[in-house]
Amino acid sequence: MPSTVAGLRRDPAVALTVLVLWILLGLFVVYPLAALLARVLFDHGRFTPDGIVAIITDRHQLRAFGNSLLLGLGVGIGGTLIGFLFAFTAARGRLNRALLTTLDAAVLLPLVSPPFTSAIAMIFSFGPRGLITYELLGLKGVTVYGLASTLCSEVITYFPIAYLTLRPLLAGIDSNIEGMALSLGASRWRVFRTVTLPLTIPGLANAFLLLFAASLADFATPLILAGNNFPVLPTQAYLQITGLFDLRGGAVLSFLLLVPALIVFLLQRYWVSRRFYVTVTGKGAGQTPFDSVAPWVRNALLTACALIAGIVLYFYALLLYASLVVALGANHTFTLAHYRVIFTEGLKAIRDTLIIAGVAMPLGGLYGVLVGYLVTRGSFPGRRSMEITSMIDYALPGTIVGIAYLIAFNEPPVQITGTALIIIACYIFRYGPTGIRTTVALLQQIDRSLEEASRGLGAGSGTTFRRVTLPLILPAFFAGLGVVFIRSMTAISATIFLVSIGWTLITVKILQDMTELALGPAAAFSVLVVVIVFAMIALIGRVLSLFRAQGAPRVTSMLGG
Amino acid sequence: MNQSAIAVNVDGVSKRFTHRVKGEVWAARDVRFTAAPGAFVTLLGPSGCGKTTTLRMIAGFEQPDEGRIRFGDDDVTHLPVNQRNIGFVFQNYALFPHLSVFENVAYGLQVRGQPTAGVAASVGEVLALVGLAGYDQQFPAQLSGGEQQRVALARAIVIQPRVLLFDEPLSNLDAKLRVQMRGDIRELQRRLAITTIYVTHDQEEAMAVSDRIVVMNRGSIVQEGTAEDLYHRPASEFVATFVGRVNLLHGSVVACSNGVASVSALGGLFTARVGATALGVGARTRLVLRPEAIVIDKHDGLPARVTTRTFLGEKVEYGLRCADTDLQAIRASGGADDAIRVGDDVALRFADEALVALPETDR
Repeated sequence: MPSTVAGLRRDPAVALTVLVLWILLGLFVVYPLAALLARVLFDHGRFTPDGIVAIITDRHQLRAFGNSLLLGLGVGIGGTLIGFLFAFTAARGRLNRALLTTLDAAVLLPLVSPPFTSAIAMIFSFGPRGLITYELLGLKGVTVYGLASTLCSEVITYFPIAYLTLRPLLAGIDSNIEGMALSLGASRWRVFRTVTLPLTIPGLANAFLLLFAASLADFATPLILAGNNFPVLPTQAYLQITGLFDLRGGAVLSFLLLVPALIVFLLQRYWVSRRFYVTVTGKGAGQTPFDSVAPWVRNALLTACALIAGIVLYFYALLLYASLVVALGANHTFTLAHYRVIFTEGLKAIRDTLIIAGVAMPLGGLYGVLVGYLVTRGSFPGRRSMEITSMIDYALPGTIVGIAYLIAFNEPPVQITGTALIIIACYIFRYGPTGIRTTVALLQQIDRSLEEASRGLGAGSGTTFRRVTLPLILPAFFAGLGVVFIRSMTAISATIFLVSIGWTLITVKILQDMTELALGPAAAFSVLVVVIVFAMIALIGRVLSLFRAQGAPRVTSMLGG
Repeated sequence: MNQSAIAVNVDGVSKRFTHRVKGEVWAARDVRFTAAPGAFVTLLGPSGCGKTTTLRMIAGFEQPDEGRIRFGDDDVTHLPVNQRNIGFVFQNYALFPHLSVFENVAYGLQVRGQPTAGVAASVGEVLALVGLAGYDQQFPAQLSGGEQQRVALARAIVIQPRVLLFDEPLSNLDAKLRVQMRGDIRELQRRLAITTIYVTHDQEEAMAVSDRIVVMNRGSIVQEGTAEDLYHRPASEFVATFVGRVNLLHGSVVACSNGVASVSALGGLFTARVGATALGVGARTRLVLRPEAIVIDKHDGLPARVTTRTFLGEKVEYGLRCADTDLQAIRASGGADDAIRVGDDVALRFADEALVALPETDR
């Protein structure tokens, strides 16, 4: 049989690829975490729990832990509610195309911006010289820093995650089920309460956990907005390392972060995922053919969405405005000076970021497709553990990954701290997994018989991969690639520990500008990032639509998770 | 007819929608039929003929652009679906996946605010009726397709609806179960005497369950009657081909009077009943000839040659070539004609009663 011969011929190649991937995963995923763990548990080669004890008996650090949980809880609840509002309106509001696009845009904006853009806008609006508090209301001595502003900013930043989780779920509920309840005499409100909502509960739980984890891991927003009276874990870890040069203390703090993160991960994997109802899948029923919401409810929903979308758009308009005036709140004269600054003094950061993103992008895309293909279609020992290992850095809060990399690669045998390589590796292994998941999802939709048909027609497995499988998973490649690029442009939580004089990033520069109160350049940088990212999304969208037209399964979301 | 002798009156109902390519399309156009109390009426037609749209308008899921829908003397055209008191059975059953069998069936009663004890009694009764006693605590995902179908049925009848509506309820079941379920549905419907409107594209299913069949095509009703009416007296070529298998013969009218035409076809002269439309002398016509109405003999009849022979157990199907026309014939096996083989020269006869003459420019 030609297929067995071809299979044998291909086997060494597969074996080699698997080997190389394992070495890379070992070096860039397992080794840093092991190094972090060793640093937490050992002191000068001796096992000691001192480090952990010192931190968990420190009341200040315990408060930071409690604050992190409180913030996560608030963001989880608030973000899920707003995400559900948007998802429900999109799925049941019988919106026309234009309205849907507007809704999507308002949701997309926070998702692809640097994570602290809304935080900066909060400062501009409610800070000491804030547009709203000072200019509009004439209030003085108002402090924007603390739980409330951090919470609001994070909710605005992360609710799109809930939207992306809930919308397909709501759209996937068979409209006949709601129609059935209606035909049995239930009112619309009763149908919502007894049918729609119960069917969405697993999704709501899932969204809550995702948001909780995102807030727990968020580093930039609290750094800007939390202030001294509301310490949270990621910022404490950062300050411990950069302020007190206490790498071990930072490691222990980030380790503390691991506990709730792990609980969330386990809950998601073993509790929530089993509670999705089997019948609420596929079908793609789309718009409900009958009026499942009363006209006045629809209007109320739309108004609520418009309000929130308005806040989002206001934030971004404010950012743009702040980048174009001399000093927001003091001198509103039009100027391009801030852009001049970022393209002269800041040029190095822009260049570095683009180089790093440009290198990480194709490698990350390739990594995603390779691992995704091997773990779904390959047959080699350790397939499952490869899948799990590849997901670790994706699931962990960035602070942990950043500190782990810092500890692991600061000294021989692999001393790459200060190079671009460490940042690129971090991006590939932290954001490449999106491509893995997309590839796996795509391959699960593509029946194996397609590949078998190709073999049956006499094609070898190499030809089959090239002519059949590869074209079908190309969308996943481009989606994965896009995510790596976008995240490379916007991420900060892990890489703030990895930048150096040699290589720096726009996001880090924005943060520096914020702390030095150079708000204009910070705004200009943010606008630049948003523009680059949007251009990239448009490009990827164009590329993806080429494939979609040929009947490849739709890649539901480039940014899922 | 007295209004109260009609349970459901679909009175000139139309529904338009705008298609992306085709522009304005009529999903239903001036659809008009009635169902007597306790009757079983089936809307039959190919996919896209408007039968489901019509059913959904009767249920209240969609609003007609024109026309009225009445239940008895009540005009329900603008009544929301949740106030019509109907029982609906969907093609995919639409069971509530998060509720047990008991809770699924009890839903409609609870919505009506019935006391708990009464609900439990009614649900137990109706579950026994559909043969699902003891399944109360199961969840839909644990049931087979046939069982899910029975739950859907129980849920629709437990509320004692004014009208029971079925939207292709059997198409997700395998062939054997389909035959059994349609018998069960019919029996239950007869026992409870609930007026029923049933949608299907399967003509055999329609004939098996219905008191009356309404055949639809392209949004309009093309013929209405009992199964026998449609089969033996089709009004159009569409009905003739859609209901049962058929040979359509080209012919021309030689004479026509009193609903009987003399038609020349296959090189011979035949007497045929004239369908709904009158035929003028000299007009081109299509003769409807059912396969089982062809008698195959050795001598005495139209000369023909056997081109194919398929033995199917209780019957044998023949392909015949007669006067440059291909015909299909079905004979019960075990008869004298069992000896006929491919290539044999045979003689065909068909009873005059078997032929219906239709105008040619139909479809």
